[in-house]
Amino acid sequence: MLAASKVDILKDRAAILRRSREFFHQRSILEVDTPLLSPLASVDEHIDLISLEPEQGHTSYLVSSPEYAMKRLLAEGIGDCYQLSHVFRKGESGANHRPEFTLTEWYRLAVSFDAMIRETLDYMELFVGKKPVEEITYLEAFQKYLQIDLRQESYETLKKRVDERLVENINDCLELLVSQEIEPRFRPECFTVLTHYPATQAALANTLRLDNYEVALRFEIYHGGLELCNGYDELIDAAEQKRRLEEANRQRISRGKEPLPIDTDFLEALEKGVPACCGVAVGFDRLMMLRHQSEEIGKILPY
Amino acid sequence: MAQASTNEIRPGFKVEIEGQPYAVVGNEFVKPGKGQAFNRIRIKHLITGRVVEKTYKSGEKLELADVQETEMRLLYTEQDGAVFMCDDTFEQHTMSFDQIGDNAKWLKEDILYSMVFYNGQPVTVEPPTFMELKVTETDPGVRGDTASGRVLKPAKLETGAQIQIPIFIDQEEVIKVDTRTAEYVSRV
Repeated sequence: MLAASKVDILKDRAAILRRSREFFHQRSILEVDTPLLSPLASVDEHIDLISLEPEQGHTSYLVSSPEYAMKRLLAEGIGDCYQLSHVFRKGESGANHRPEFTLTEWYRLAVSFDAMIRETLDYMELFVGKKPVEEITYLEAFQKYLQIDLRQESYETLKKRVDERLVENINDCLELLVSQEIEPRFRPECFTVLTHYPATQAALANTLRLDNYEVALRFEIYHGGLELCNGYDELIDAAEQKRRLEEANRQRISRGKEPLPIDTDFLEALEKGVPACCGVAVGFDRLMMLRHQSEEIGKILPY
Repeated sequence: MAQASTNEIRPGFKVEIEGQPYAVVGNEFVKPGKGQAFNRIRIKHLITGRVVEKTYKSGEKLELADVQETEMRLLYTEQDGAVFMCDDTFEQHTMSFDQIGDNAKWLKEDILYSMVFYNGQPVTVEPPTFMELKVTETDPGVRGDTASGRVLKPAKLETGAQIQIPIFIDQEEVIKVDTRTAEYVSRV
């Protein structure tokens, strides 16, 4: 009986993959298929990569996201594009995590940050139908749920709100407060769009000053407290991107993690010119979990 | 002392935190896409039974507690405690009624109990889930009681436990009891 329901879920997965392709095709977004194995790495402070040795003496990495490869294609002039990609992240294993999972990632040229959020919500509807949407900025969320004004509070006072043993800097502190105090209070059965992250958590997003606070044009969408995607108004400035990658490597070293080889091909593409664009990576398996009311990611995967 | 990393810890592991023994009941991996990874570990105090949740950075190491579980047979009870013996090693251990706590009402000679030892000392004793025990005190059932819907009456068992039994059970009868809920199961 268990086997039958698994087969039903997998047939449904096939249907959703088909509908995803249809969704992008109707919007004239091109499917791309970039390599999963890369000799150069994407550098994130908190994402560890699985390394392999496809040839004796040469290390390669399984990609943690197709982002760099897709941006290289954008620099080549491929235009709007999407990818349904397996991605790999070392050490991520739990009810909502697998070291290998599927992302739906796409890039749109000359589109506004808001329009990108709308399109992402439209895509999510394919899986779970229409849901109420609440939009809140990072600054507002801290105000609303914790009565904290991030423009006023110092690291020292914020630190007192969390277990100090767990944090090394202000970003650790903010992320911990979001995951322990804010996400659990997002309305259930509803999409919450969290926008305008602090500029210090910009990753690959453009930044600006808003309400007297340096913010990144970055958004995440949650269903209840479950994180479903991460999107940016994409940074296309090569020098700034290089600076951020080097900073991520410095942070990795300070946490006792290995630094990773910076993807010079990616930086070259930015120098050559990636057109202004927005992009988003959506957790396909998380949406399948919601669709099948599964508390465990393994239940919606073949194995 | 032995240690285990947060990514090895599974429910059932026994850990020592601030000098106290706990059993792990849950371990949840929490990681925002771009943020630091944590493990939310739910632990149950081995003696008080209190469940608490603690957050650790993923990869952090926890001390494993020196905890052993063994079956021991009750030899006899004394004024303020009970003496148990291991069938295999004949090793004997005394536990005070204070330590035994609520489960003292399920102590019967010659029965096997599951005991937890922490740093070589017994800390908890659990009775078998089902026990067959003699009713030592109860009032005779009154015919009219069923009509008014009262089908149970209070009784005291040979171990001292006080439970509710059906009115048709008489004093000196042996009944089967579920020790988890202190409820009557059947006649023996």
